[in-house]
Amino acid sequence: MSSSLLNLRDARLPLRVAQASVRYAGRVETNIGDPKLSLIRRILYPSNMRSKPSPTGTWRPNVGWRLQRAIPSVQAHETIERAWRLHERHLRKVRQAELERKYQCMWKAMETLRELDPALYAEANKQEDPRERSETVAKLKGLDRKVAESRVRGLFPRELRLPTDTPPRDGWNYDWKPLPQYD
Amino acid sequence: MLALRRNLPRACLRFPGVRGNADVAPSESVSSSLPPPPPPTAAPKLPPAPTKDEPAPEKSTPQARGRQRRRPWPSVRPSISLERPREWNRPLAPGVLPAYDLALEYIQEDSKNLKREVEELRGKIEAAESLPEDKQDMEALRKMRAKADILEIQSEINLPDVRWKARNGLADMNKLVYRRLIEQRWREEGALDLLMERIHQMKVVPDLLAELHPSIDLRINFPEPPPEDIYKRTRVKRKFEKVQPGVFLKPEQTWRQPFLYTTVFHLDTRLYTLLMVDLDAPDPANQTFQTYLHWMQPNIALNTFSPSPIPLTTTHTRWIPPHPQRGTPYHRYALVLLPQAHPTERISVPVPTDEERLGFDVRAFCERYGLDGSKGGGAHMWREVWDETVSKIYRDVLKTEEPRYGRPPKGDPYAQIKSTPKYL
Repeated sequence: MSSSLLNLRDARLPLRVAQASVRYAGRVETNIGDPKLSLIRRILYPSNMRSKPSPTGTWRPNVGWRLQRAIPSVQAHETIERAWRLHERHLRKVRQAELERKYQCMWKAMETLRELDPALYAEANKQEDPRERSETVAKLKGLDRKVAESRVRGLFPRELRLPTDTPPRDGWNYDWKPLPQYD
Repeated sequence: MLALRRNLPRACLRFPGVRGNADVAPSESVSSSLPPPPPPTAAPKLPPAPTKDEPAPEKSTPQARGRQRRRPWPSVRPSISLERPREWNRPLAPGVLPAYDLALEYIQEDSKNLKREVEELRGKIEAAESLPEDKQDMEALRKMRAKADILEIQSEINLPDVRWKARNGLADMNKLVYRRLIEQRWREEGALDLLMERIHQMKVVPDLLAELHPSIDLRINFPEPPPEDIYKRTRVKRKFEKVQPGVFLKPEQTWRQPFLYTTVFHLDTRLYTLLMVDLDAPDPANQTFQTYLHWMQPNIALNTFSPSPIPLTTTHTRWIPPHPQRGTPYHRYALVLLPQAHPTERISVPVPTDEERLGFDVRAFCERYGLDGSKGGGAHMWREVWDETVSKIYRDVLKTEEPRYGRPPKGDPYAQIKSTPKYL
């Protein structure tokens, strides 16, 4: 290689290809003189102060201090993460235990039913086949059909009343009649 | 493109205990659980005791400040180890980050609860153990012991000072939680993955043994390669450097046996057998490759507190330096520590002669002496290629003629024509 090429190779060329030596700040219009002149100035000398992050995200000098502000210490961040996960784990365990308890209650209740009355137990455990029911429902019309379709079999009844501390304001409804069941 | 500022925002500088990213665990070379292997003769030069907290800023003059970025704290932390211990400090002062204070409280409380549970369980285990032999339920006892161990680990693993100590070489291997943290680090943060990747990609696993599942962190140190400057080659003492599994080493580096550094995670002493084999010794008769045994040492006793490096001055089968022959492709060298069938029973292996080293059948050997790579142990490997040093090994160590391998010469189909004159 010739010496000039060698020199070129060894020279540390800057990464920025185009770099103006003069810096132009963005202007604030305090003394509004001739608008034509200000327009010309604005076009000839645009602001080339590159200190803010670029809008498209190609240059982000502020990422460092933002990260530092958000996570001042990696160790603290990890500690907080672990504490939070521990807390979530405890909640999960408690909820899991509660669900388990409810399931066991349900299971015990069904076991008792099975011992007392196997027929009712079979009835309680019956699987719903929607295809069988659809034939009877198709024959119905109007309000009856709406009732039959809206009542999902196997789901808790709509009239199920949660136990409360005090009786209802409207008292007991003696004239209540159950809606027709379409089996 | 990040311009990461080392300086903290001004708000944080008000608090004396605040540290920036400098409290991040330092790089791998400093934070290994064992002290980095010292050079064989030179005594380690200790930095001054860790009483100085913040060294004075080096360049504080206004002229220098313009040239250099201000750095009020050193960016490289002094090396911490069991010989030079440091206390854990909170990374943030109380009140700087309320979430951190709450997290600490939560973790401390959970730790206390778990410790109480562990004590109760250990009491129950003792009571169960003190029962007469026939009434002991072994299965239940085993489960209780396992649960107690798990609870003990869980009670301490979230504590920031425990985690910091494990990260910074101050782990007390007597405690379960530290052993767990260090094993977790070895297994999950890349070291074991790299080793297994190299072992499988370079087909050490089917060629050496059918299965290798390491349970010991085995690290090897060989002297560094010779310096490029020929003047320095005989004048500068070579330091020992750690070997990444699978890299190429020079035959010069592997002239003498390496230092084996281990991190063992079981407290009880178990016996291991060391084997170093060349998987690519040429077998020209069968046009294939065979194994050559370079080093063997049975009955190495290892536990968490056994000395590291393993003291192996004289071994059962002496170290013959790797000598990849000229004309062969690169050779793979595998070094394994295989657990013996019975952890405390010594095996007696006859010393193989130099002729028996060539064509050493590793699988038959392991089957005969009950060595099983799938039950644990350690593994490592590297590669080598022919060098002029190999000629010296053949001349001085093996004392045989150096072979040179290559393809057989092709017959010249034009030999007849060449001998007859072309023009009349």
